[in-house]
Amino acid sequence: MIFLEKATVYYLQFFHFEEFSQEKKKSMWRRSPSFILDERRSSNSPPMADTTRGPFQNPDSISAYYQTRAAHHGVITSDWLAQAQAAVGGVSGDAQHDLSVTDLGNEKSFNVIEEFNNWRKQPDLAEAVAAIRALAAVIRASEASTMMELEIELKKASDTLKSWDKTSISLTAGCDLFIRYVTRTSALEYEDFNSAKSRLLERAEKFGEISCKARRIIAMLSQDFIFDGCTILVHGLSRVVLEILKTAAQNNKLFRVLCTEGRPDGTGVLLSSELSKLDIPVKLLLDSAVAYSMDEVDMVFVGADGVVESGGIINMMGTYQIALVAHSMNKPVYVAAESYKFARLYPLDQKDMAPALRPIEFGVKIPTKVEVERSARDYTPPQYLTLLFTDLGVLSPSVVSDELIQLYL
Amino acid sequence: MHSAVYKVGLHYLSWDISGGNARCIAMLQAFQEVVKDYSTPPENTLNRDMTAQISSYVSFLIECRPLSISMGNAIRFVKNRIAKLPITLSESEAKASLHSDIERFINEKIIGADTVIVEHAVTKIRDGDVLLTYGSSTVIEMILVHAHELGKKFRVFVVDSRPKLQGKLLLRRLIKRGINCTYTHITAISYIMHQVTKVFLGASSVFSNGTVYSRVGTACVAMVANAFRVPVLVCCEAYKFHEKVQLDYSICSNELGDPNAISKVHGREDINYLNGLTNNAKLKFLNLMYDATPSDYISMIITDYGMVPPTSVPVIVREYQKEHLLQSSKIVI
Repeated sequence: MIFLEKATVYYLQFFHFEEFSQEKKKSMWRRSPSFILDERRSSNSPPMADTTRGPFQNPDSISAYYQTRAAHHGVITSDWLAQAQAAVGGVSGDAQHDLSVTDLGNEKSFNVIEEFNNWRKQPDLAEAVAAIRALAAVIRASEASTMMELEIELKKASDTLKSWDKTSISLTAGCDLFIRYVTRTSALEYEDFNSAKSRLLERAEKFGEISCKARRIIAMLSQDFIFDGCTILVHGLSRVVLEILKTAAQNNKLFRVLCTEGRPDGTGVLLSSELSKLDIPVKLLLDSAVAYSMDEVDMVFVGADGVVESGGIINMMGTYQIALVAHSMNKPVYVAAESYKFARLYPLDQKDMAPALRPIEFGVKIPTKVEVERSARDYTPPQYLTLLFTDLGVLSPSVVSDELIQLYL
Repeated sequence: MHSAVYKVGLHYLSWDISGGNARCIAMLQAFQEVVKDYSTPPENTLNRDMTAQISSYVSFLIECRPLSISMGNAIRFVKNRIAKLPITLSESEAKASLHSDIERFINEKIIGADTVIVEHAVTKIRDGDVLLTYGSSTVIEMILVHAHELGKKFRVFVVDSRPKLQGKLLLRRLIKRGINCTYTHITAISYIMHQVTKVFLGASSVFSNGTVYSRVGTACVAMVANAFRVPVLVCCEAYKFHEKVQLDYSICSNELGDPNAISKVHGREDINYLNGLTNNAKLKFLNLMYDATPSDYISMIITDYGMVPPTSVPVIVREYQKEHLLQSSKIVI
C-alpha cells in the first residue's frame, strides 16, 4: 500500500511535468522541490542542456591574484599544484603575447608584465604598489622626449597590466590612480620634461612607502574602537587587519580574537598562528560556526580586496555572509582598507563582477557531474558595513563615492 | 516678442514639446536665435539689456508651462554667461561668444551627457535581463536601443499610466527597433515585478539629499521595486541636479495639469461619467505632474559624472559648479 502511494505520487509528478511548456518548466524549476526529476528530464533534452551549460564560466581559468596569495600563504595542495602548472603554461602564453604587443609598441624588449611579476613576489608588497613600481619601470625604460609621448606609453602599459588580470581590483585601482596622477600633474604644471619625469619616478617610489604608512595610520585610527575585554571576529588574512591587532596588543589592550577557518585557503589557520605568536588569545572557528559564535562577538574586522563606489566592499568569499549575520545581530562591521583600493566600480549584486575563480579541494574525489562554486570573493553592500578605516580617516561607506568623485574629476 | 520664443512657447502649451531635455534644448535654441538677432539699444549696455530681455522671455515661457528644473539651471547658466561677458568685447564678438557658449552647453551638458550615461548604463544590462521602465524617457530609450545594438538579449516592460499615456510612444519606438516588449499599466506593477531584474527610470531632477523628482508614479514604481528587492537605476544628467532638499511629497512645489484630463478618456468622447459633476463645489480634480522618490528606494544614480549612490549628489553638484567657475576663470585669462 505504501509502495503504491509512492508510485502514484511519482507518476503524478511525471505526468504533471508533461503538461507544462519549456518556458514554464524553467520558471517552475526555481520554485518546485522536484528539481531532481526536472533536471533528469533536462539532461535528456539536448537544447536544454546546451542552454544551461552555455553561460557557465570556464572552470579551468584561475585568477592569478589568488594564485599569488596562495603561494604567499604557503598553502599547497595537490590539486593546486596540478592546476598551477597548467596555469603557468597559460600565463606564459599570455606573457609571450603581451611581449610581442609591447615590442610592436615600443620597439624595445621591455616587458611590463615581467616587471610586475617580479615585484609581486614580495609578500609584504601590495599589488597596487607592485603595479605602480612596474609603471615606474616603464618610465625609466622609456625613450619618449615629450610628456605626451610618455603618457601614451604609460597608458598602454597600464592597459596591458589591467588586462593581464581583470579580476584584480587593486591592480586596476593602482594603475588608474597612477595614470590619474600623471595626467593631473602634467596638466597643472608646465615644467621641462626631464624634471617632470624624475618627479613621476620619485612619486612612484614614494607610493610604496605610502602603502606601509597607510597600514600604520589605519592601525592607529582603529585603536579607539578596540576596548579592553572585547572579542573581535576576523575573516580573511588581511595585512592591515593584522597590523591593527598587532598594534592593539602592543598597546597592552586585552582582547580575544575569533578567526574563521577560511577554507579552502586556510587563511584563518595562518592568522591564528600569527596571533598566537603575539600572545593574543585566539579561537579558530569553522566557517559555518559564525552565526553560532556571533553572540560573543563585539565587533567584526575585515580587510578589502576593493572598495567600490557604492561604499560596499569586495573581499574574500564569506565576508557578505558574516556581514549579514553581524547586521542582524547588531554587531558593527569595520573594514580596514588602504585608499588606493578604492575603485570606480558599482556592483548591483554578486553576479555583477568579473568572477575570480580559484581551485577548491574537498579532500575526496568530486564526481564530474557535480558543479562546484569556485568564486573566491563576494560583494558586501554598504548597508551592512559600519565604518571604513582608511588612511584618509575613518569614513562611513557613503563617503567613498565622494572621495572617488573628487579624485577622478 | 521674438518669434522663435513665441513659437517654442506655443509648443509647450500644446505639449508638442515635453520632457526636460527636449524643452531645455528648444528653449536654448530659441535663445540662440534671440542672441543672433539682438542689437543693443543706444542708451543701454548689452549685459543689462539682454538679461532683461531673457527674463521677459522666461516669464512668457512660464505662462505657457511652468519651468522644469533643468530649464531653470540652463537659464541660470545663460544669465551667468551674459553677466560675465567682458565690456571690452564688441557687440558681434559678444554675440558670437554667447552663441557658442549656449551651443557648448547643449552639446556637452545635454547631448554629450546622455552619451556618457548610455555608456555607463549598458554595462549594467546583461543577457537574460528583464528591464522595467516607466513612462517615456529619452535617455532610457537611448540606453535600451544601444544595448540592443550591442547584441544583448533582454526584454522590456513598459509601464504606463493615465492621463498622459506617454509610455505608448516609447513602446512604439522600441518595437520598431525589434526589442522584445511587454506593455502594461502601473496598476499591474506588483504582479509583474517578480519577473523584473532591473528598473531604469528617468528623472526631472535630483535633489541634494538624493531625492529623485520625476513624473508622477515614479515613486510608486521605485517603492514596489524596492519591496521586491529589484535594483532601481535612475538616469539623470548632472545639469538637472539641484541644491534644494525636499523631505516629503509637498504639493506646494508640484505642477498642476489640466484637471479635465482626469475625468475624460482621450479619443472616447462618449465616455464621460463625471460630466455632470464638473461644477460640483465639493469635488476637485487633482492632476499632478511630478512626485518625489526618497533616496532609500534608489540603488544607483547614473549621471555623466559616473555611477554614484544617492548620498553623493551634493558632491556632484559641487563639482559641477566648480567646473563652471573654472571655465569662468579660463575665459577671464
